[in-house]
Amino acid sequence: MNIKMIQDIVEEDGILFLTYGGFISQSLISSMMEALEKEAEQNNLNLGISSNIFTIFIELTQNMMNYSKSKNLEYDENSPEGLILVTKDIDDCYYIHSQNIITEDDKNRIEPKLEKIVDMSKEEIKKEYRLLRKSGKDSHGKGAGIGFYEIAKRSDGIKFEFNKITDEKYYFHFISKIKTNKEK
Amino acid sequence: MHDLIIDETKYTPYIKLDATNGIIEIKGKSYPENTFEFYKPMMNWVEDFFNSDRKEKTLVNLEIIYFNSSSSKLFFDFFDLLEEAHNKGKEIEINWIYHSDNESALEAGEDFKEDFLELNFNLVEK
Repeated sequence: MNIKMIQDIVEEDGILFLTYGGFISQSLISSMMEALEKEAEQNNLNLGISSNIFTIFIELTQNMMNYSKSKNLEYDENSPEGLILVTKDIDDCYYIHSQNIITEDDKNRIEPKLEKIVDMSKEEIKKEYRLLRKSGKDSHGKGAGIGFYEIAKRSDGIKFEFNKITDEKYYFHFISKIKTNKEK
Repeated sequence: MHDLIIDETKYTPYIKLDATNGIIEIKGKSYPENTFEFYKPMMNWVEDFFNSDRKEKTLVNLEIIYFNSSSSKLFFDFFDLLEEAHNKGKEIEINWIYHSDNESALEAGEDFKEDFLELNFNLVEK
């Protein structure tokens, strides 16, 4: 994992209060969730906003648990590992970063989907989310195929980048921003 | 028909399926590792329950604090089962219970209510 990347993120965002890199399991996710719940409680976050943060965190970590690959393993052999960071800036905006390794095939599948979502308005995202949920079109064994829509609908902006490692594998870095100083 | 109770864990809700009194209750957080597998016993129970010749009204109380996207799909499929039963003449009342401070849970409830207009679906502020 890239320590320099963490430094850059902290310099840009401000306060880092949760970071983890390595193997990801369901019990680890729920332990990190306890830390997040504590943070939300201490900052008197509104329940609506904190549940958005929780859901985004869960989506990103469960994605990494289910779909991550390793640099060293065979092309599409799963390896549930990744890097996750939660930071906060001086305006109390929260940022959730995730980084994991994916195959080129996965990149080609995810990238157009995310590019489409980035260009959509919040209303369009919510509409598409409900349409996909209803049709079950992208559903598969473990997921409903609506994870990125779930994240986008609860975020105040998403960003992503793919960084090439080898011809076949990429680092997938995803950032979700959540504002907390909303008018109620 | 037997009752079924599933205890709450850190990432799955408390589930009570009470065949005697006709009450279905789901309460807590929902982000299982494998959502569809986790809810399978509940979904099977619900199907069997509405296939029985029970005449009395069924009460469904849902209080979900937060959930992952596959749980969202699962709840959609659950309401689909309820709508099917409703269309076959079963009387069902749903209470979607949310904390007054949790507008995300309210919005989730509003979306389900709109997707299942046939159902008797109440949004209940706590």
